[in-house]
Amino acid sequence: MIQKAADSKLKDDVRIGVYVCHCGLNIAGSVDVAEVAKFAAKLPGVVLAQDNLYTCSDQGQAGIKNDIKEHRLNRVVVASCSPRLHEPTFRKACEEAGLNKYLFEMANIREHCSWVHLHERQAATEKAKDLVKMAVAKAMLLEPSVEVEVPITRGALVIGGGVAGIQAALDLADTGYKVFLVEKEPSIGGMMARIDKTFPTMDCSICILAPKMSDAGHHPNIELLTNAEVSDVKGYIGNFHVKVLKKPRYVTDDCSACGECAKVCPVVAPNEFDVGLATRHGIYTPFAQAVPSTYIIDMNICLNKNGVLACDKCLKACERQVINFDMKPETVELEVGTVIVATGADVFDPSGLPHYGYGKYANVITSLEFERLINAGGPSGGHLLRPSDKQVPKSVAFVQCVGSRSDRNGRLYCSNVCCMNTIKDSLLIKEHWPETEIFVFYVDIRAFGKGFEELYKRARNAGVKFIRGLPAEIVENRKTHSLWLIGENTLQKERYEVNVDLAILSIGLEAWKDSEMIQRLLTLSRNQDGFFLEAHPKLRPVDAATGGIFFAGCAEGPKDIKDSVTQASAAAARAGILMAQGKVTVEAITPITFPEKCKACGLCVKVCPYNAIIFDKDKKRVNIIEAACGGCGTCSAECAFGALTQKHFTDDQINAQIDAVTEEEPEKKIVAFCCNWCSYAAADFAGVSRMQYPPNVRIIRTMCSGRVSPKMVERAFARGAGAVMVAGCHLGDCHYINANYQTLKRVERLWKKMEASGLSRDRLQLLWASAAEGERLASKISEMKPIIEKVSHEEIEKTRKVFEKSLGEG
Amino acid sequence: MPERIKHAPLDKDRVKQPRGEIHLIKDQCKGCGYCIEFCPKKVLEESDEINARGVHPPRVAHEDDCIMCGFCTAVCPDFAIFVVEKMEGKGGKRD
Repeated sequence: MIQKAADSKLKDDVRIGVYVCHCGLNIAGSVDVAEVAKFAAKLPGVVLAQDNLYTCSDQGQAGIKNDIKEHRLNRVVVASCSPRLHEPTFRKACEEAGLNKYLFEMANIREHCSWVHLHERQAATEKAKDLVKMAVAKAMLLEPSVEVEVPITRGALVIGGGVAGIQAALDLADTGYKVFLVEKEPSIGGMMARIDKTFPTMDCSICILAPKMSDAGHHPNIELLTNAEVSDVKGYIGNFHVKVLKKPRYVTDDCSACGECAKVCPVVAPNEFDVGLATRHGIYTPFAQAVPSTYIIDMNICLNKNGVLACDKCLKACERQVINFDMKPETVELEVGTVIVATGADVFDPSGLPHYGYGKYANVITSLEFERLINAGGPSGGHLLRPSDKQVPKSVAFVQCVGSRSDRNGRLYCSNVCCMNTIKDSLLIKEHWPETEIFVFYVDIRAFGKGFEELYKRARNAGVKFIRGLPAEIVENRKTHSLWLIGENTLQKERYEVNVDLAILSIGLEAWKDSEMIQRLLTLSRNQDGFFLEAHPKLRPVDAATGGIFFAGCAEGPKDIKDSVTQASAAAARAGILMAQGKVTVEAITPITFPEKCKACGLCVKVCPYNAIIFDKDKKRVNIIEAACGGCGTCSAECAFGALTQKHFTDDQINAQIDAVTEEEPEKKIVAFCCNWCSYAAADFAGVSRMQYPPNVRIIRTMCSGRVSPKMVERAFARGAGAVMVAGCHLGDCHYINANYQTLKRVERLWKKMEASGLSRDRLQLLWASAAEGERLASKISEMKPIIEKVSHEEIEKTRKVFEKSLGEG
Repeated sequence: MPERIKHAPLDKDRVKQPRGEIHLIKDQCKGCGYCIEFCPKKVLEESDEINARGVHPPRVAHEDDCIMCGFCTAVCPDFAIFVVEKMEGKGGKRD
C-alpha cells in the first residue's frame, strides 16, 4: 500500500475551517448539505465545519473572516461553486482577515456535483463528501505564497477595425494610452461602412461612422496598421510581444487620393467592398470615405508581377510619384499590455441552400448585396435595381432566417440583427418607391430592443406584408426572370405562391473562418458556433479567460451596432483599468526547485513551453525565470526525481487528493484530472447546462493537463481506482502553448505499459474537451460507466500490483 | 471581406478598358520569344509558320485579352511588334 501523503506530513498546528454552501437550493436541492458539514467536521485537521445558505454573501464572508480570528483558523475550505467563479472572492476574504490567500481551497460541489446529479441525492451527497475530503486533504498541505508583481506595458493592441475596434481604440486613445489598430482590409470601417441606414433610427450608416473613422485615423495616440495581420503573439498579461505582418500597398502614405491612377489603370476586377456589384481598377480605394485614403494596388490583377514593370500607366499618371512597386511585406513588432479582439463576423453564404437558388437565379440577392444597391454611394447610386434587367422591382420579397436558427440549413443560433435589418430595409424601399409591394417571410419577428417594436409597427402600417412561414422553394420564370416563392402560411394553414421581381435573402452572421488563427495565437476559447467565449457569460462578458485580453463586437457573438459599440467601450474600460494600475500580480504557481535532488538531466528545460528554465552547465543545476513562467507545471510532471514541483499544485498536494478519493471503494470511482482552462471549464459548463452524468467521477483540478505526471496516474491505480481519466484542451489549443503534447506522450507511454502488463487500456482514458464541450465531457463519463462496472476484483488487484511495483522502483 | 461574388458587376458594360490591336512585322522577327514570354496577359503564342529569317514568329492567339500595355513593343529587340488602340465598333482582327 502506498503511504498516505497527508499522514507523512501531518502538521499538528493545522486548523482548518470548512464551509459547506447551500447556494439556496442549487446545492441543497440535491445534496444533503448538513450531512456533508457533519462529515467534514470529523476530518483530520478540521476544527470547524458549518453549512451556510450563501457563503459568498457579505454575511457568509464576514463569518469566515470572524472565524479565522476567533478560531485561529489557518486554512479555509469552502465547498460551493466552481473556483473559476468564486475563488477570487474567498481568497480576498481570507486576505482581509490576515490569512495568506494560498491557504484557501475550494471544493466544487455545485457545477461538478449537485447540478449534474439532480436526481441522485444519495450518490450526490457521497460525492460531495469525497470532494470536501479531497479539498481538506489538499488544504492540509497548502503553503503560503507571495505573488510576483509584473509591470504592465501602457499600450493596447486592437485587432479588427470595424465599428467595435474603432470605438475601443478611440476610447483607449482618449484615455491616454497608445493604441495599435490592426485591420486586414485596406481600410477600416468593417461591415458598418457597407450598410446604408441603421435601425431603428434610420441614421445614415457611413455618415455616422466616417467621422469616427477619421478620428481614429488622425488620433495622435492611434497607430493604424491596415492591410495587415497579426502573425504572432508571445507573452502574457501586461507584456504581450506582438508581430504584425504589414502587406505592401505599393503606394506610400503621401498619396493624395486624387484618383488619376485608377483612371488610366487598364485592369479591372469586381470590388469586394460592393460584394462584386461594381468594378474597381487594379489600383483603387475600396470606397470614397476609406481611412486611410491611400490607394492600394491589387497584385493579383496588376500586370507588374515578379519585379517586371510591364505597365507604367499609373506611375505616369501619379503627379506626386507615390507609387512604388518595390515595396515588400514587413513585420512590425509591438509591445502591448492588453489586447482587444474585435474581429467581427462574416455573413452566411446561402449558395449552399439550393432551394433558394442563390447564385443560380439573377434576382435572388443577399441582404448585404441589397445594402450596397440601396446605398447612394453604391454601384447603382441608390437605385434599387434588380440584377437581371436593371429595372426597379415592383414587388420584393424578404426571406428571413437564411442560415440562422436551423442546423439543417445553416447555423442553429439566432443572428440577432436580421429581423430588424429587414424591417428597416422594407421601410427604405417604401420611402423611395411607395408603390412597391413588399412581402416578408419569417419564422418569428424578434423586435426586442429599444425602439424596435415601433419600427416594426411602422413597417406594418406602411403596408409591408408579413407572412409566417419560410418559402420551401424559390422558382424562376425563365423568360421574365421574376420569381415564384412557394411555401406554407403557417398562421392560416394554407399554401402560398407569391410572384415577385426580386427576392432578398436575409442572411445570418457567422464567425470568421480565420478567427481560429486568432484563437490559437491568443490561446482563447470559442463556443460550438465559433464565436469567442467570454470568461463569464453574465459577470465578465467582455473578458477572455486569458488575462489581459478582451472582446468587442461580433467576434463574441452576433450583435447590432449599438451593442457592438457598448461592448467596445466596456472592453476599453476593462483594458484601461489594467493599464491604469500599471502592474499586475502573477499567480504564485511557478515551480519550486530542490537542487539536491536534481540530476541535471535537462528534461524540464526541454518540455518548458516558455523557455523559462535555464540550464546552468557549470553548476549542473537549473534556474527558473519566474516572470517568464506561465505556470503549467509540465516541468514538475516531467521530473522523475522530484527535484521540481509546482507551487500550489505540488506532488504532495495532488497525491493527497488522489489518496482521499481512493480511500473508500476506489474500484467504483473514476479519478479524473482536468485542466483549469478547457476540460475543468467543460465540466463547469456541463454543470451550468445541467447535463446529467454518472456520479462516480472525482475531478482533480490542475492548471494544465501537462501537470499530470505518470506517477499520479500510477498512484491512483496502485490504490485501486476503477478508472482514470486525463482531460485537457484540444491539441493545438493548449493555454500553455504546447504543454498538452506532453500529456499525450505520457498517456501513450502509460497505455503501452498497461498493455505490456496485460491490463486493459480502457481503464485509462484521455479526453480533449474545450471549455464549450461540456456535452463531450459528460458523455465520456457516461461511456466510462460500463468500464467501471465491468472491471473485476482480480483485475483491480493485478493493476494495483503492477503499478505499486513501478512506483516502488521509481 | 467575403470572397463570394455571385452577381456580375452592374457597371460591367460601362467600364472602359483599353483594347489593343496588335500588329506584327513577321519578317523582322528573329524568334527570340520575349513578347510571348513577357506579355502579362499571355496574348501571344509561337506560330507554326517560318518567316524570312527562318524562325517561328509569334501569332496573336487571344487579342481580346490585350489591354494595350505596350510591353511587347518595349521588349522586342527588332521593332517587329506594335499595338494601336482598337476603336469602338471597329472590332475584328486584321492581318
